[in-house]
Amino acid sequence: MNEPKTTHFGYEQVAVEKKAERVADVFHSVAAKYDLMNDLMSAGVHRLWKRFTIEASAVRAGHKVLDIAGGTGDLSYQFAKLVGKDGQVILADINSSMLNVGRDRLIDRGVAGNIQFAQADAQYLPFPDNTFDCITIAFGLRNVTDKDLALRSMLRVLKPGGRLLVLEFSKPQHSLLEKVYDTYSFKLLPMIGKLVTNDADSYRYLAESIRMHPDQETLKGMMRDAGFVNTEFHNMTGGIVALHKGIKP
Amino acid sequence: MDAMFITAALASAEKVINAALNYDPATRIALGKLAPQVLSIKLTAPEICIYVVPTEDGICLLGHYEGDFTTQVQGTVPALMSLLKNDRVNLKDSGVQVIGSSIFLADLQHILKNLDIDWEEMLSQIFGDIIGHQGAEFIRHKMHWAKDRVSNLSRLTSEFLTEELQALPSKAEVTYFNQQVDEVRLGVDRIEARINQMLQKHLQP
Repeated sequence: MNEPKTTHFGYEQVAVEKKAERVADVFHSVAAKYDLMNDLMSAGVHRLWKRFTIEASAVRAGHKVLDIAGGTGDLSYQFAKLVGKDGQVILADINSSMLNVGRDRLIDRGVAGNIQFAQADAQYLPFPDNTFDCITIAFGLRNVTDKDLALRSMLRVLKPGGRLLVLEFSKPQHSLLEKVYDTYSFKLLPMIGKLVTNDADSYRYLAESIRMHPDQETLKGMMRDAGFVNTEFHNMTGGIVALHKGIKP
Repeated sequence: MDAMFITAALASAEKVINAALNYDPATRIALGKLAPQVLSIKLTAPEICIYVVPTEDGICLLGHYEGDFTTQVQGTVPALMSLLKNDRVNLKDSGVQVIGSSIFLADLQHILKNLDIDWEEMLSQIFGDIIGHQGAEFIRHKMHWAKDRVSNLSRLTSEFLTEELQALPSKAEVTYFNQQVDEVRLGVDRIEARINQMLQKHLQP
């Protein structure tokens, strides 16, 4: 009898078809206080990581941009300003709670006309081939069940010459920083999560999922294997976060 | 330097500048008209490149830009600051090099010189009309006083070094010395030309 296929959910092994459901539960739980928690957890530095991503995107007026796992719309807000009225931004997220928060927030900030919202799975993007000038996925790839499938799906919907930017937690480059970071992630982070959202488990999953995510070189190799060229990464905050870039040939 | 430090510094500077520009709508509108031009500032010491992108909402300060810039200015921080403060249009001996359109640079310089932030409005919104007015008067008075002191300090230092200490020559002496050097140089050039002429005549068969 065949063993059922499993994948990781943090440090836990779960059936492949169950992972999306478990991840969805985490984000349904934290959606309402996602931004507050991001600010608390990173002391506001996540804004700088995202700002650097925007600069590296080279998005210009008239471009079409897909912001996958766009969550509460931080990147989409900036992209909507950059692409102008002739461009288009699609904020996509698999999680309806996160998408609702993002959509409400952007509408409240007066962003309309050049932005659309889509509940979409990164592995099976519901867009035609060669559609986007730029795709970003910020702090989302590690939650995807089959990352290779997702990367190939992103490649398909990118225009030739278009770029993919993956902003994701990665491996700290100094052993001392890694120790401090581990202590913070596994001790302090769940405690903050418990205090703010009354949900320590979701933030324990966050810390575990970061450790299970491929490191800088591995992800770069995965992007190359998916068909991207000129792949490179840029470490930020000592490698706690890395921005990977790849171009569709 | 870590890109994150530059990103953080630029993000803070951009926020402060744009907040201040909210209280000078004329400058903000004038900057908006310069879009989509891009100014690249390349500092040579320390080596940093930043990009100034005027928009309708103020300005964007970027540490990374992959498009074409309209103008690039290169130089050290003191040289660039000196250019910003002065009216000079000639960059000779300024230590600053310009690549691209100098018109865009002149437009920016003109806009910055006419910067007139309404401190009173800014302070009134935070502290109320009475304290805001008094605070703005205080800032205006102190800025006027500081401008006077800087101007006086510069004049007095110059006079002390040239007249009292006689450590440096005066401007007139330097000009006279330069004129004499020019005359000597021209004289030497004339002699060289005369010698060449004589040599050619002598060597001709």
